[in-house]
Amino acid sequence: MALVEARGLTKVFRRPQKDPGLRGALKHLVQRRFKDFRAVDGIDLSIEAGEAVAYVGPNGAGKSTTIKLLTGILVPTKGTVAVDGHQPHVERIVNARNIGVLFGQRTQLWWDLPVRESLALLRDMYSLSPTFYKQRLERLDDVLGLGELMPVLARKLSLGQRMRADLAAALLHQPKIVYLDEPTIGLDISVKDRVRQFLRELRADGTTLMLTTHDLGDIEDVCERIVIIDEGRKIFDGPLKEMKDQFARVRRMHLQLASSVPLAQVAAVLPETEVAQGDGPHSVTITFDRFTHTAGQIVSAVLQVTEVGELHLDEPAIEDVVRKVYAGELLRESV
Amino acid sequence: MRAYKRLFLISARNVFAYRMSALVSWIGSGAFLIASFAIWKALLGDGSIGGYDWPSMKAYLIISWATMQLGGAGLEWRMADRILWGEVATDLTKPVDYQKARFAEYLGSLTLELIAITIGVSLVAMLTGGFAAPKQPLLFFASMLLVIPLKFMFMYLACMLCFWTSNYMGVAWAKNALIMLFSGGLIPLSLLPTWLATPAAVLPFASVTAAPAIVYLGQAGLEVVVVQAFWVILLWFTARLLWRVALRALTVHGG
Ligand SMILES: Nc1ncnc2c1ncn2[C@@H]1O[C@H](COP(=O)(O)OP(=O)(O)OP(=O)(O)O)[C@@H](O)[C@H]1O
Ligand SMILES: [Mg+2]
Repeated sequence: MALVEARGLTKVFRRPQKDPGLRGALKHLVQRRFKDFRAVDGIDLSIEAGEAVAYVGPNGAGKSTTIKLLTGILVPTKGTVAVDGHQPHVERIVNARNIGVLFGQRTQLWWDLPVRESLALLRDMYSLSPTFYKQRLERLDDVLGLGELMPVLARKLSLGQRMRADLAAALLHQPKIVYLDEPTIGLDISVKDRVRQFLRELRADGTTLMLTTHDLGDIEDVCERIVIIDEGRKIFDGPLKEMKDQFARVRRMHLQLASSVPLAQVAAVLPETEVAQGDGPHSVTITFDRFTHTAGQIVSAVLQVTEVGELHLDEPAIEDVVRKVYAGELLRESV
Repeated sequence: MRAYKRLFLISARNVFAYRMSALVSWIGSGAFLIASFAIWKALLGDGSIGGYDWPSMKAYLIISWATMQLGGAGLEWRMADRILWGEVATDLTKPVDYQKARFAEYLGSLTLELIAITIGVSLVAMLTGGFAAPKQPLLFFASMLLVIPLKFMFMYLACMLCFWTSNYMGVAWAKNALIMLFSGGLIPLSLLPTWLATPAAVLPFASVTAAPAIVYLGQAGLEVVVVQAFWVILLWFTARLLWRVALRALTVHGG
């Protein structure tokens, strides 16, 4: 059995239906009306030990809700979750020992305490031995630069410092599984790099990782598996590379031609592609389906018409793919 | 266990961070104490009302004041806010029992309150010519000790209502009013009209003020302390049950 197993995971929120204004509020008091809203709708998910999974989707897709269900914070409306064989919301405390959780938008540090005290409290909560604790702090200090933050009150930390301290708090007990909900939100480039570096090291240590983010740079070199959800449903689950292969069918080649040739002449030798004027005077952009043409075929076809100077091929960027998924274009393109 | 001990210590240290706001509330409650002394002195004169003469009323008032002061000030609003704002979500990812953790913090926060109560009681004793010794010292001590978990339970249960409400102000207000009226904190329960005295007798609130006071005065004995213990146990497990229901209702906004 996989380390994390979710079957038909569903969370329905009841939203009060209120008409605007005082009248609406009064009416709601007397006659309460609710509308069910499925934030997570029948998600199946298995994560094996040691996997790093990126969990992405547009705003309101249900990512955070899924994480809350997997961590035992919320009780599922339907479906089951087992994490290392335990049902998180039933065996909350047992499960809590196995997991580390970070919600980028909330802190788990105690607001009035110096970081050092928060960590000491966590040490006691997880019953860590003094030597283990010391080792962990040294390790975390190396990658997160914890030392300078230790004496500072949590409420006085800047956002980036807070995130570093929060990461340390989530990982202090060396959890088997780590859930990170937007760990780089609002961070500047250098702190972001540092956090990503840290995630890679975590990965290398064999920690199982589930990560939600809107910054796809976070996942490129950390995760090899991507799960995309929208409106509470899973729409893709597979290797990052496969996603690019499967969904980034359209490729774009930019060619600098040796002479000025009418576009129609190029198009004539390349049926089933789209030939357009490029940026420069002699340049063309050819958009083609990589399942019907190879880049080589395109070039040799163009060579029948004219000499080619420079050429450049756009690699399918994960951003483009995901953007299309968000915009609901995916299905149309993949059929 | 280590976790609860540390929560206790942190909370004990942290209350001193709020000493200024605590000071203000003690000044307020000190004024209330002076006022109630003055009113009852004037009402009683040299006679007695409902079995209370001035020396016994004095003891009643100071016990009532002391039990009102206990209550984990600061902690209450922090717990309520964490639930209202969804911060409780992060508490749920930690391997500690929520109720025990809050109880440890509550016990820690009593340090400052106990100091204040000691000062208050000594001052009053000095200024009004002392108090008679409790009629049943051991029972009285046990009864006062039980007030501590009882007040925690009232606070904890009230805060838990925040899983269903969208603010704590009304809940806190209602809770305080109920305690004030039915505990005997406002006036001794034996002086209440029957339509108020009857509910007071069956509700748990009498256990926090009237109980230790009447044990002190020798008007009641072991049976009262047993009832107090009964309420502590019943409320503790009721809270556990309510917690299970609350988690089903928990939604956690944002994020
Ligand atoms: N407590 C709640 N009550 C009602 N609806 C909720 C609640 N929490 C979340 N929702 C709704 O469920 C949907 C999913 O929310 P969720 O926070 O899981 O989205 P998300 O994928 O994390 O989005 P984002 O990228 O913006 O963080 C949203 O439409 C949200 O409005
Ligand atoms: Mg989210």
